[in-house]
Amino acid sequence: MSTVLAAAGVGAGEAWTFWILGPLAILAALGMVVARNAVHSALWLVLVMLCLGVFYVVQAGPFIGLAQIIVYTGAIMMLFLFVLMLVGRDASDSLIEVLRGQRLAAVALGLGFAGLVGAAFFRALDSRDAIGLAQANAEGNVQGIAASLFTRYVFAFEVTSALLIAAAIGAMILAHVERHKDQKFTQPDLMRARFAPGNYPGPKPGPGVYATSTSVATPGLLPDGRLSDRTISPILPKRELTEAESTPKATEGR
Amino acid sequence: MRFLTQDPTLADFGHDPWWLILLKIVVAFIFGMSMILLGVWFERRVVARMAVRPGLNQVGPFGLLQTLADGIKGILKEDLLPRTADKVVFFFAPTVPAIFALTALSVIPFGPMVSIFGVQTPLQVTDVPVAVLVVLACSAMGIYGIVLGGWASGSTYPLLGGLRSSAQMISYEVAMGLSIVAVFMTAGTMSTSGIVAAQAGGSEASWSIFGWHPTVPSWYAILLIPSFLIFVVSAFGETNRAPFDLPEAETELVAGYMTEYSSIKFLLYLLSEYVAMVVMSSIIATMFLGGWRAPWPITAFWSGANSGWWPLLWFLAKVVLLLFIFVWVRATLPRLRYDQFMKLGWKVLLPVNLIWILLLGGLRVMQDEQFSGRNRWLIIGGAVVAVLLVALLWPARKAEPKTTLEEQMSARPSGSFPLPPLDLQVPPSPRAKRVVAERRPANVTASGAGSGQVADADTDADEKEV
Amino acid sequence: MGGYLGSYATLGLLLAVGVLFFLVAMTANRLLRTNRPSAAKSTTYECGLDPVGGDWAQAQIRYYVYAYLYVLFAVEAVFLFPWAVIFDDPGFGMTAVVEMGIFVGVLALGLLYAWRKRVLQWT
Repeated sequence: MSTVLAAAGVGAGEAWTFWILGPLAILAALGMVVARNAVHSALWLVLVMLCLGVFYVVQAGPFIGLAQIIVYTGAIMMLFLFVLMLVGRDASDSLIEVLRGQRLAAVALGLGFAGLVGAAFFRALDSRDAIGLAQANAEGNVQGIAASLFTRYVFAFEVTSALLIAAAIGAMILAHVERHKDQKFTQPDLMRARFAPGNYPGPKPGPGVYATSTSVATPGLLPDGRLSDRTISPILPKRELTEAESTPKATEGR
Repeated sequence: MRFLTQDPTLADFGHDPWWLILLKIVVAFIFGMSMILLGVWFERRVVARMAVRPGLNQVGPFGLLQTLADGIKGILKEDLLPRTADKVVFFFAPTVPAIFALTALSVIPFGPMVSIFGVQTPLQVTDVPVAVLVVLACSAMGIYGIVLGGWASGSTYPLLGGLRSSAQMISYEVAMGLSIVAVFMTAGTMSTSGIVAAQAGGSEASWSIFGWHPTVPSWYAILLIPSFLIFVVSAFGETNRAPFDLPEAETELVAGYMTEYSSIKFLLYLLSEYVAMVVMSSIIATMFLGGWRAPWPITAFWSGANSGWWPLLWFLAKVVLLLFIFVWVRATLPRLRYDQFMKLGWKVLLPVNLIWILLLGGLRVMQDEQFSGRNRWLIIGGAVVAVLLVALLWPARKAEPKTTLEEQMSARPSGSFPLPPLDLQVPPSPRAKRVVAERRPANVTASGAGSGQVADADTDADEKEV
Repeated sequence: MGGYLGSYATLGLLLAVGVLFFLVAMTANRLLRTNRPSAAKSTTYECGLDPVGGDWAQAQIRYYVYAYLYVLFAVEAVFLFPWAVIFDDPGFGMTAVVEMGIFVGVLALGLLYAWRKRVLQWT
């Protein structure tokens, strides 16, 4: 196919794309680290992954580029978003370190990773010409990937499925509580619990019912005229009335 | 796959002069926008006719300009920003689904090679070897607009609606992605123009019925009918259309993720639903209904139907037909419950899809590897027998032991609700009969013996008078 | 513009035109619309009651499981796509089908597990 021939050298289009999207990707990555809100962080990461997808496409790997967008931006970032919403927006970062010595490990691993990336950069910038791209894409990009995936790397491919399923089952075990059938309450169970001593079987009066005010803080009156504490929401703070407030104003009954 | 002269191949793309690229983009954009305006009009008009109402008929001829008027009104409305909203995300979330849905239009083939101002070019904005994946990626990105819009509103109903909607869309995205696999398997390519070319013209079958070689239909809607059905169902789920319009179930969620939106942002969400519908219709037409090719009876007597600008007409006709089906389904079916919906997606569409793909793969390979007729039928027969055996020997769910009504009643725990006596027969009141007979004998004989209730109601009223 | 990048550049261009169009539409809206903000207008919708606080409810955990299943099958689909294109080319044939059968079978076990554990039952 002729589609890959133009990608052999660094063309003007490729250079333009790189110089526009490269800084954008770095800015987005910084934004991900700096953003205070976790969802904003995730959105910056989505932008980084979109840029990466475009880079793959520009480097004559259209299939891997779109797979990046479908799987990472589409599926995995959606998973991230769901997890963030699960935690809730107001969850603040805990400053207590749970893992002992994680800073040290992080520094060591970071240095190691920087070394790896640096070495790769060094080799890449050492004026080496990439070869083999045209041969690899000779029959089309997708066909080339498939040919090596299902012949040379077939074992890795099958192991991927095991990895995926292990992770999925782990997630299900963590996130799903299985209810047995006998844990369901039948109607007699519910009714017995409702009429059990200590529980009030009838509907409770709403706050302010039969009271002198419609405020939610005013307790409802019971039939015998007493105040019912159960009609007030438990989150409302209680305060004692002052003498002046509690004395009758003598406005009723005239 | 055989390529005809007017069939564009992948090599034909990417050579257009810049003005032609711009022209195509602008035309594709205008197509998308005008399809929205017409689509809303079409839907409201058709739904009205199905409900025996006149529908839009006030603004412009046949009410055609109603959508435009609504759009202008929407733009002039005040834009409200909730105090609790996340301002940046709230601002850009509505544009995301619309933009990505419009981008997906670029890989839709509208026609064969045509000549535009002397330049031979395919009637398609662009095509790439992974064009169908572009569509999938666009629909995956469109989900963000909905989940983020719901989240950014800072309100309960939008959040729940957005979550529901995104869970729904990812569930059906899975079914949709897998149903395309069968198309790739048959066409051997992922480019949209290649898929249309692969559906060109029926080939004569290698087998015969009494010496007659029937022409095998070439549309994948017929060849790959399970994939077609799954794709259509998941297209409904993916576009949040009835009967899968759960995210905007008014009875449960007000307006779903759009609750807090107003003015142009609300319009953008509305618009993206219609763009998505148009894109999905175009994709179904391209992948399963032969794309821009004329349907069979036309090609039989008119050989020029598939060249020049005519294919644009066939393509639009197919899209409009599919849009009509979208509207028809909306007017017919009630909304599903969320659990039914998820059950359909994960327990029906997905497993059927997986089995169908592997079955198709096995069949095709057997066809290729030239198994002799007897061996092939042996293998197919063996597979069918194996499936039947599994189905027969599958441990059936333990049958509930048959209990009589008396046993069930005595098994109820103490404290259960009191039951009315089961043999309760209310004897007819002799007095009522007498009253009816005395006052309105003609009525009783006219309505017959079966309508005792009506007669009783009458007597009640009469008794009050007495 | 080259043949390879040209096709993708057109895609990008359409995306850019889309972004531009909606930016223009939003700006026009900003210039044209009325703007009289008030405290009542900026409250969130709560069926006629006054909302209490900003409501950023937490999502239910089952969405997470569904998102995970989505990841599982998105990856499977991405592996199925190249397979679908080449599986009946010379040199692949039944081997490729069996390889994919094993892969799909293993992942189908995940679905089966979820099914048996009633994860897929939306209560």
